[in-house]
Amino acid sequence: MIYQILREAWISISAYKLRTFLTMLGIVIGVASVVLMVAAGQTVQNEITKTFDSMGTNLIILAPAETVSGGVRGGRGRPSITFKDVEALKQLKDVETASYVVNTAVQAVYGSSNYGVSVYGTNPDYLTVGNWEIETGVPFTEKDVKAGKPYILIGQTIVDELFGLQNPIGKVLRLKGQPFTVIGTLKSKGDNLMGQDQDNIIMMPATTLRQRLRGSNRPNYADIAFVKVTEEDKMESVSKRIEYLLRSRHYLKEGTDNDFSIHLMTEMVEKVRSVGFILSLLLSAIASISLVVGSIGIMNMMLVSVTERTREIGTRKALGAPNRWIMFQFLAESIIISFMGSFVGMILGVALSQIAGMVLNKQVPVSIWSVVISASVAIVVGVVSGIMPARKAMKLDPIEALRYQ
Amino acid sequence: MSRTQVVIEVRNLCKTYYMEGGASQDVLKHINFKIYEGEFVAIMGHSGSGKSTLMNTLGCLDRPTSGEYLLAGEAVAKRSDQELALIRGQKIGFVFQNFNLMMKRTIVDNVSMPLIYQGIGESERRSRALEMLKIVGLEGYGDRPPSQISGGMQQRVAIARALINHPKIIFADEPTGNLDSTTSDEIMKLFTELNKQGITIVLVTHEDDVADYAKRMIKISDGRVEYDGLRKGYRA
Repeated sequence: MIYQILREAWISISAYKLRTFLTMLGIVIGVASVVLMVAAGQTVQNEITKTFDSMGTNLIILAPAETVSGGVRGGRGRPSITFKDVEALKQLKDVETASYVVNTAVQAVYGSSNYGVSVYGTNPDYLTVGNWEIETGVPFTEKDVKAGKPYILIGQTIVDELFGLQNPIGKVLRLKGQPFTVIGTLKSKGDNLMGQDQDNIIMMPATTLRQRLRGSNRPNYADIAFVKVTEEDKMESVSKRIEYLLRSRHYLKEGTDNDFSIHLMTEMVEKVRSVGFILSLLLSAIASISLVVGSIGIMNMMLVSVTERTREIGTRKALGAPNRWIMFQFLAESIIISFMGSFVGMILGVALSQIAGMVLNKQVPVSIWSVVISASVAIVVGVVSGIMPARKAMKLDPIEALRYQ
Repeated sequence: MSRTQVVIEVRNLCKTYYMEGGASQDVLKHINFKIYEGEFVAIMGHSGSGKSTLMNTLGCLDRPTSGEYLLAGEAVAKRSDQELALIRGQKIGFVFQNFNLMMKRTIVDNVSMPLIYQGIGESERRSRALEMLKIVGLEGYGDRPPSQISGGMQQRVAIARALINHPKIIFADEPTGNLDSTTSDEIMKLFTELNKQGITIVLVTHEDDVADYAKRMIKISDGRVEYDGLRKGYRA
């Protein structure tokens, strides 16, 4: 019987091809835009995850405390964490390693080429903390840091911009007129979430940077420090230990504020992820407005159809069609329309999102959600927009319907 | 009259319409008659006489307010909509004044339509429809839409549709109302032919020369049976 109902419904709607097509178009556009928006949201979230993975998520970031004057919170205050603090942090339980960074931006010169670059003064542990790997050559050592050796590791952008096809190992770069020997190159990391090139980097011992590029009256202080925790669920306890250790090392009395701030990468990841999630939810919500409009389109068409086919309905009833049969036929018509519409919309949405991904050079996932969305739209929209017209058809009195002109 | 089976029996059939505000109108008043298998009966009457209401009640499209109606021995006066639909589909054939064909469907689809509701499969529906088209003289037209054939032929399609479920009785409501006199004669001859093969036909008309094809006439006037007997002008 279901087959017969579907067949009658199919023949009925295919009798009005243009009208059916236009009605379907509303659902096609609605589903396609929802699928597209979900894909966009997922792509953003994937990018976020990728970026954080490249930094490592079980990181604790230590920065100077925010300045507070007269209740107004300002930017970062004076550097307060020393290189020795960081060495002490390495000894804490559940800490894998710790590192620090002082940075500056200079023009790197090699031969006749030059390029603006971000310079990180740090210790050898920064490679572990920042998930960096050595492509060629060797990293600098703890000894080099102590001695303030002019050894540098360079990112792929610097390799490409200054050395081209030459092997950079052993070559001498000039930064602010001072010579630095390239002892290694770093594996490429690509752009970060904000579109910044992470490979435009030079790493050197922090002591070297302090001595040769950026002097300071507090030369043993780091701009920022990183602690890598062994496991992600130890983050909280480690951050408490860090706070205790730093307070005692900085001789802070009870009741005074910390002169440093602690940020857990896991929390930051959560925050950014939730922003991404809300964003994709919002986009899909806006897109689904077109679905509502499309659904109203189906209802409208079905109501017109019931009125137009009043005599047909009367005839069918007179010739033995039970009321339920009539109702299911009209319901089937709207479900078929919404089913086809959402199927085509799903294909269209996935295709468009892949094309957009290719154009923007981003990996766009083909998500199971697009199938879930379109299938549920097919059923929900079909039933919701079809039930009223179908009931109207069902309730027609055959005598009245046969008399209808 | 030969002692054959009673197809329709109505006893004390009444129909009252209740209007808003409490007013009521008796449209059918204590109607009694029997129709036997193989009869060709014309129901006549002026407009407003109640013949349409009688027709709708006999056709199981409507229920009487009171009284009894036995169709092929089965009491149908108090059945539900669902049951009446089933009875119509199995025991009754309808022929309408304006044919009521689905113009966008093929003639076979139109003729076989009542069988869908009997749960009969597609191939059997088609073969039975083609068989019925042969009976009404429309062999070879099955796969065309009704819009391509004349009004007289369209009414033949409707008659084929009425015959397809092998009904106990066929109700023809002004079947020639939309046709010219030549075509009307052809349609009435077809009915006569079918009647000779033993099919019971109830014809509702207000045209005398159409009614003359029926042997028996029931005349309704003001909701009552005014005359029930041999049609005077019956052309044997």
